[in-house]
Amino acid sequence: MKKEKYTKGNKYGMVIDLDKCIGCGICTIACASENNVSVLYDESDKTRNITWLQIYMVTNGKEFPETEVVYIPRPCMQCDNPPCVPVCPATATRKDPNTRIVSQIYTRCIGCRYCMAACPYHARYFNWFDPLFPEGMDRYLSPEVSPRMRGVVEKCTFCHHRLMRAKAKAYAEGRRDLKEDEYIPACVQACPTKAITFGDLNKPKHKVSKLIKSPYAFRLLERLNTEPKVYYMSTKNWVRRMADNYLEGEFK
Amino acid sequence: MELSRRNFIKFAAGGLGGTMLSPLPWKLIDDIAIWTQNWSWVPVPARGKFSYIKTVCTLCPGACGIEVRKVGSRAVKIEGRSDYPVNQGAICPLGMAGLQILYNGGIRWKAPMKRVGPRGSQEWKEIPWDEAIDELAIRIKGLRDKGNPEKLAAIDGNQSRSTMALLIKRLINSIGSPNYMFMPREEDTHATANFLMQGTNGPIAFDLENADLILSFGCGLLDGWGAPGRMLSTWRQWANNGKKHKTYLVQVDPRASNTASKADLWLAPFPGTEAALAMGIAHVIIKGKLYHKKFIENHSFGFYDWFDEKGVEHKGFSKIVLEKYSPQMVENITGIKRRVIIEVAKKFASAHAPIAIAGKGKGTLPGSLYEFMAVHALNALKGRVNKEGGSLITDDVPLAQWSDVEYDSVAKDGLIKERVDCAGTPQYPFSRSLIHKFTDAINSGHGSPIDTLLLCSANPVYTIPDSQSFIEALAKIPFIVSFSPFMDETSLMADLILPDHTHLEKIVDIVWPTGIQYPLYALSQPVVKPIYRTKHSGDVIISLADRIGGQVAGSFQWTNFEEALKERVRGLYDSGNEKVSWADIKKNGYWYIPAHSFGRWTDIFKTPSKKFEFFSTEIELALKAYSKEKSFDNALINLGISSKGDEVYMPHYEEIKSGADKKEYPLLLFPMELINLASGWIGNPPFLNKTLFNHQLKRDDLFVEVNPKTASQYRLKEGSKAIIRSPKGELKVRIHLFDGAMPGVIFVPFGLGHTAYDKHLKGKGVNPNKIIDQVEDPLSGQPVWWNTRVELIKI
Repeated sequence: MKKEKYTKGNKYGMVIDLDKCIGCGICTIACASENNVSVLYDESDKTRNITWLQIYMVTNGKEFPETEVVYIPRPCMQCDNPPCVPVCPATATRKDPNTRIVSQIYTRCIGCRYCMAACPYHARYFNWFDPLFPEGMDRYLSPEVSPRMRGVVEKCTFCHHRLMRAKAKAYAEGRRDLKEDEYIPACVQACPTKAITFGDLNKPKHKVSKLIKSPYAFRLLERLNTEPKVYYMSTKNWVRRMADNYLEGEFK
Repeated sequence: MELSRRNFIKFAAGGLGGTMLSPLPWKLIDDIAIWTQNWSWVPVPARGKFSYIKTVCTLCPGACGIEVRKVGSRAVKIEGRSDYPVNQGAICPLGMAGLQILYNGGIRWKAPMKRVGPRGSQEWKEIPWDEAIDELAIRIKGLRDKGNPEKLAAIDGNQSRSTMALLIKRLINSIGSPNYMFMPREEDTHATANFLMQGTNGPIAFDLENADLILSFGCGLLDGWGAPGRMLSTWRQWANNGKKHKTYLVQVDPRASNTASKADLWLAPFPGTEAALAMGIAHVIIKGKLYHKKFIENHSFGFYDWFDEKGVEHKGFSKIVLEKYSPQMVENITGIKRRVIIEVAKKFASAHAPIAIAGKGKGTLPGSLYEFMAVHALNALKGRVNKEGGSLITDDVPLAQWSDVEYDSVAKDGLIKERVDCAGTPQYPFSRSLIHKFTDAINSGHGSPIDTLLLCSANPVYTIPDSQSFIEALAKIPFIVSFSPFMDETSLMADLILPDHTHLEKIVDIVWPTGIQYPLYALSQPVVKPIYRTKHSGDVIISLADRIGGQVAGSFQWTNFEEALKERVRGLYDSGNEKVSWADIKKNGYWYIPAHSFGRWTDIFKTPSKKFEFFSTEIELALKAYSKEKSFDNALINLGISSKGDEVYMPHYEEIKSGADKKEYPLLLFPMELINLASGWIGNPPFLNKTLFNHQLKRDDLFVEVNPKTASQYRLKEGSKAIIRSPKGELKVRIHLFDGAMPGVIFVPFGLGHTAYDKHLKGKGVNPNKIIDQVEDPLSGQPVWWNTRVELIKI
């Protein structure tokens, strides 16, 4: 695939500090509640349920009492080179050239799930059932995000509606550029330990641009050249090693 | 042109080609995609004006500030409030999912209900509010007419200082019953330890934000302990302090919990031996003379050997610790290596602002009193009492007192009768409520000593350890009234339901949120109008008192709950430090004094000796009183104390007794609390199910954490089905092999295994409370819930 190179526009990205993350699940819940994600009666069915932001738990594999647990929150990686986009026959998903956010247009989706097969991060979810908001729970639905219907694929949008909201406000005030903290996704706002940082990777002054230069920063499955815009940080070697498939002795 | 076959094909092919080149087919496919997705049952959320309402989350006694986004009249999102002193923007998963508690019609009582079928048949009749309150008023009047007001009892889950709790207690007492009980909690153990060693009545407050070394004896600081919002934002501060000033966290935990994993050092002593570990650390500090000499010599009592007024010599704390808790002895008890104990002790002693803190899990259940005292003794050794970054002694929130209750003759006669749960009697001198004794009292007799039981903000059928006995007791009580807004396990066993509003529909206060280091008054406000025919329990109690009439009505002269609240809050703006008004407090949702006066060791201790007491005079007084009834040795046995001599009055390690045979039940069941699984009286909201891993819950099967070594002894593999059997019963579970679990211990989470609530929660997993074989904690008499002996059976 040809690498696109453009530094114009915004390049929204995220850095998740795994040393600070305690796996409380607030980000998952904030995301689901912000984006009208429905809840199955059996959420333990991980092949059918929907969690735009899924948390994985890993351990260092050492015996008691040396064991250590680390959690890895996984939103959509918002790849700069997204494998899901070119496979879509219905042009229901695309990378926005101005914000570099990978979008999903539910009403265009024909439910073929090619994108899910293409995504190496399992960040995309298929609506196997009609959305479930029983017993009046549809009363908390937010009008900013349309609820999805059976048969379409959905995924994290970096809370795109929040970008729209922030832009509308900025434009009303006569500004074209957003301030660093004006637009942040729901998970970033909710993270109680502030493990997640969000900003524009094209702006060197933004905190995220500085953080990704850290020697402890890494991305998941980096060698697939998907160029994720979600970065992780961990001072622990064993955690960084888990981020990709290494041959023995290859990881330094 | 002639319409030949050739021309027809040409025309058709050209037409087809032309259409394919036009956008028409693509547009049609798109339209079909849209049209096939346009189902009437896919909700379209109504639009409306955005508004943001600042309030306080009252789902737990943590009282975090929240901001609710509303669209029109609907609440659509809950977010943390960054301008709130407790949590600074951080909230917990339960608080975040609060809208699923408000709007889930499947778990809520929608109107007052009266049971019509037999108990448990779930046949209910909707009745008007007036009729419901009248029915209860007539029943209570009947009890009073017969001269049996003490047959009324209440079990309350509201935070003990809150106006709701005071109102319920006032109702029960003014009617003439001493039987006001509340749910057991860790705060009580802290408060008792505080009373015995420092003489003050409030909870011990911990200035964790300013400490540079935290020695946590089991507190799940990052697993939902205290006010979770506050703890998580504090953790953020520690992590941001940078390498130089980073707070060093030592976590004592039998399992690689979140806190243990994030801690700088993790110690895993055998469960129940934490007190011995604390004493071992004290030993190293005392032996190396690393303690705070000024504090010990001038402001503490019982550290050195001493003579009482009769001239009898008493051993000091230092002597006992040096004799009985050498690192080697402690290693034998706890399993922690000698050199680690010495290393931790030296670290603790050399830190600038160390603090030791006792607790367990989320801090919702009571702990062991001697253990809490032993841990607090470490703070005293280093002079960390009322110091910045240490444990603080603060004045209570200066709320105004209501006028005294005027008891009529029926009430006076009722109040002198003994409490059903024996709390406060010489056998349980330091407890104010003991629900397991209440259960025993009902189950041991033929008839029930209680006729009418009120249940407020509590779901004991689910949350009380050894819940089966409690259920048996409930079945014997003739009339049960539930104020719960939810169709929880307990309210389903009730006869009359007077449903309260949920937290987002009412004004209610929390006084001094749990674990906070400064006295803070938190006040919530209604975010949405009540969506069902529910009524504020405070209002219900006031109108109930009114209908009972006489002196009872005289003690409740307010027309509604808000007036009662306002009268108490008056004390805040009369306290005069700053100009605040009711309107200010209502708008901000809080009132507090951020500045604390540290030190003041000469006048801060309210113990009989006016000093910090290693030797607790209060215990001595209580034992003296009790030994008037029984011989001294019998008194000790009844109190559950196995040690002898002066040690009884001082912090020390007591081995937990268990009736179960170690051979028959070789393993230990340790219930654990997870931050993303609500385990209190409020059921886990559906959103939280998304955060549970497949190694915790799969379909309806609960997985328990077992060390691979232990599992292999029983030939159990990952996912194997097994039965956990205790003397109280059995649980059917599946096995998750977890290296971070201590060998020989089975970890079962609290929070699943509901038999009530909706399809999102009911029937998923099992509840460890069912098989907890509780024993009583020495001295406090509170149930020990973390020490059930069990066996594991492969199926």
